Amino acid sequence: MSASARAARWWFAPAPAERLAALRIAIGVYALVYVVGRFGELQAIARLPAAQFRPVGVVRVVGAPLGPELATAIAAATAVLLVLFVIGYRYRSVAPLCAAALLWTLSYRNSWGMVFHTENLLVLHVIGLACAPAADAWALARRRAGPPAAGYGWAIKLLVALTAATYVLAGIAKLRIAGLGWIDGELLRNQIAIDNLRKALLGDHIAPLAEPFLDHPSAFTAFCALTLALELGAFAALLGGRTARLWALGAWGFHVGVVLLMNIWFPYALLGLAFLPVLRAERPGAWLIGRWRARRARAGNSRPGGPVP
Amino acid sequence: MLGSRAFALVASGALMAAVLSPLARAPADDGFPLSTYPMFAWPRPTALTMSYPLGVTAVGGRRYLSPALIGTGEVLQARAIVERAVARGGPELRALCEAIARRVAARPAYDGVVAIRLVTGTHDAVEFLARDRIGMENERARCAVERGAR
Repeated sequence: MSASARAARWWFAPAPAERLAALRIAIGVYALVYVVGRFGELQAIARLPAAQFRPVGVVRVVGAPLGPELATAIAAATAVLLVLFVIGYRYRSVAPLCAAALLWTLSYRNSWGMVFHTENLLVLHVIGLACAPAADAWALARRRAGPPAAGYGWAIKLLVALTAATYVLAGIAKLRIAGLGWIDGELLRNQIAIDNLRKALLGDHIAPLAEPFLDHPSAFTAFCALTLALELGAFAALLGGRTARLWALGAWGFHVGVVLLMNIWFPYALLGLAFLPVLRAERPGAWLIGRWRARRARAGNSRPGGPVP
Repeated sequence: MLGSRAFALVASGALMAAVLSPLARAPADDGFPLSTYPMFAWPRPTALTMSYPLGVTAVGGRRYLSPALIGTGEVLQARAIVERAVARGGPELRALCEAIARRVAARPAYDGVVAIRLVTGTHDAVEFLARDRIGMENERARCAVERGAR
């Protein structure tokens, strides 16, 4: 078998439709809660002075901020499209629209002088799901025909690859900007110190482990070495199985460390959504459906006229 | 077409190429959602100069004031509000000081605070956090916290 044939066999290895559907639902619900939860902030941003407008990504196509009503309407439409995305309604046409709307709404939020790195992977995952047959199970108007020729496994691998790529890029950025010297920990310690000082002076909570660790700089060397290993080795997640789960656990632990040292929260990673594609994501849903079916069957049996055990 | 292997390969390749495309840009050329992810990578000195409000107690003690007392729930926005007022000075700085004093007066948790100082401070972050060593502070404005009968 040629290398390309082996690669194709690996990329298109089968996976259940329910796993991809579970990812659609979990990631879609997170995006929906995120957009609805930040709706007030999105409205406030729409009214910021035009002088603060620094468009990024797709928002660069407009030279000036949108009217507040239009910006708010697009955010509201994004929330509605996300509801349809989650339930899998007319997925082939709704999903690309939903991905485009989310891309616009979050790019617009990031277009006011500060790029938040907490939302990139969410948008990329929703775009990836929009390209895939993610509503062939657990959806309204479920497709009844057989599975598509490409199957479902490739789309799950694509989501894993997107997750891994963002971590590899973060690792490469450290090497490009600071070189291997980044590992000595001083640069990270300074970042943590400055970030926490700013919080302290403005009466905000500082991270619980910041103060003890700042007095022990050697600990940062170990933290930096682990961070670079996790980031540069992220494509190991594509190997699947225990290797992927171990990497995901390590990356999740890294984000917990960032909370403890900097009080900076990456909720998409901390809640496990970023790493869900390496797991058997359909299991909780399948278990719930199984329980519900069993309860219905028991209720049917106990009704008068129902089957006698 | 949509469910074909050809479509899957094109979609996967295009998306991965886009996500990895920031490698062709300068690290500082960040974007969204196609980012170079430069956070935590830039060298930074440990000295920080910034403006912030302080509560002063009757015995001369200091209390740091939360972003909500400055007029927002966000740390970065609170910092921007104070820096803008300090940069403009005059009536705007005075107005911010008095607005903070009114909010402090309304909070029982800050009963001991008798005055507000808006200062620009320069601190060494490690010395400040790990060894409680406060740097230099220049006072920009000061106003009393006036409490009526509750």
